[in-house]
Amino acid sequence: MYEEPYKWVEAVGNRRTYLDEQFKEGAPVVGVTCERGTLLMTMSKGTPKLYEIYDRLALGGMGHPADLEKLRFNLLEMAHVEGFNRSASDVTGGRLVKYGMAPAIKQAFEEVFKAPFIVKILLAELGQKAGKDGFLTINYDGTFEEKSQYAVLAATSAVEQKMAGYLREQSLASLADAVGAAIRTWAVGDRAQRRALDEGEGHDEARTDPAQQATDAETLYAYLRRCIAEKTVECVLLDRHVQGPSKYRALGGDELKTLLPNELSPLPS
Amino acid sequence: MSLQSDFYQLLKEQGYVFGVLGQAARGHELTTATTILAFRYRDGVLVAGDRRATAGNMVMYDRTDKVLEIDRHSVMAIAGVPATAYEMARILEHSFKYFRRTQLQELSFEGKLRALSKLLKDNVPAALAGTGAVVPIFAGYDFEQETAKIYFYDILGAEFEGVDYAVSGSGSPTIRGILHYVNTWGEQPLSAMPEEQATVQALRLLTSAAEFDSATGGVNREAGLYPVIKFITASGVRTMPDVQLKPLFEAKVSRHV
Repeated sequence: MYEEPYKWVEAVGNRRTYLDEQFKEGAPVVGVTCERGTLLMTMSKGTPKLYEIYDRLALGGMGHPADLEKLRFNLLEMAHVEGFNRSASDVTGGRLVKYGMAPAIKQAFEEVFKAPFIVKILLAELGQKAGKDGFLTINYDGTFEEKSQYAVLAATSAVEQKMAGYLREQSLASLADAVGAAIRTWAVGDRAQRRALDEGEGHDEARTDPAQQATDAETLYAYLRRCIAEKTVECVLLDRHVQGPSKYRALGGDELKTLLPNELSPLPS
Repeated sequence: MSLQSDFYQLLKEQGYVFGVLGQAARGHELTTATTILAFRYRDGVLVAGDRRATAGNMVMYDRTDKVLEIDRHSVMAIAGVPATAYEMARILEHSFKYFRRTQLQELSFEGKLRALSKLLKDNVPAALAGTGAVVPIFAGYDFEQETAKIYFYDILGAEFEGVDYAVSGSGSPTIRGILHYVNTWGEQPLSAMPEEQATVQALRLLTSAAEFDSATGGVNREAGLYPVIKFITASGVRTMPDVQLKPLFEAKVSRHV
């Protein structure tokens, strides 16, 4: 039936609707750069969503855990074989995404007889020099974008724009600034997604209640305190100051407690 | 079904072949590297190596780094053919990183030892043909046993624990005897020595090796060339910088030479 072009277009359209539905309840991911390096942040329930890919590359993802695992392994294979055969300097986010990951995701998306990857990916890269850090995002259809300073993943592009708009106004100088800005931006995104879900279920107060639209710090912290009680804060850093080639480290325990805004302490242990 | 954690296997699946097969050409001298040593000191393990690479009577290079940091907690010191040894180090470095990143946990110390053993085993034909013999020392921090450990190997891949110390390379017969003497009848065993004393000991040992083995490079003060000395403790691998080696050498080693 898909030999006819319009049927194929219709099938791809249906697939887009199906995929959009899958991300509605996913946790947003935030990436920001600061003096110390490149930071990725999200909140998860159980399965981690942030990973080390190579010496200067980290991955954040939304979507189906099995699909994310498959693509993570593909990235790891590509990066390590390339790093071994050539040099660590040749393993760049741009090459991995443009010539490896994005074409594979696009192909899976357009082959309507096969299952697509239910994933959105954010790849963070620590540059050789400060100011050269960057991000790449890949959508479930293989569309990719390069960004500097910050990047976000969320259920819809409208939510992503809202998060980016909030992030644009934040100070990202120190690591503590970056962690604070990232977690508040995450709250902006997650609240917007929850609101969209409520609207979809016919809760009109979600549309009209001004409290639900607010993005002042106090409201965001109140929301975050509720989230932290039932989820785990994931925060990883590609740390410019780490000795040796591998720059990735997870921020956890006491270090994360000292970096998070005071309004969120004490964190549940 | 596999755990997809073996980088060496992944390389082989992509057509990579390890080991230089073939007979060494008659009259052609291969580049080799010596002398390396490791011993336990008070805080962990010290690994040291001279900087010289030779081919027969020819000094090929005087700035060779034979003490290679494989990851944040392991070091491989190399004696033998550098071409093969560096390739092994590259494979190990990527294998450990690949394991950690795919499995979301560090490869165990035993797993790391086994990885080197497998490479040496695959290298046996080249080693016996005379084109790629490597006799390394592997040292690292074992988090399961909460201690730094030393292992040495033969060219066939057998691994042996150097409980107090291990040596390899052409200068090793000279310093093996000294290590035994110092460790048994010295004022204190090697494992009780603080970092500075252990460093002085390593400098003296390598200077002794250079005295009796032309393939071992000593300290070249004119060129500012000192041996490579690394320490392995629970907090990771640390290199002693030349600016700290220089005064130690001048105060505690050179006046006795």
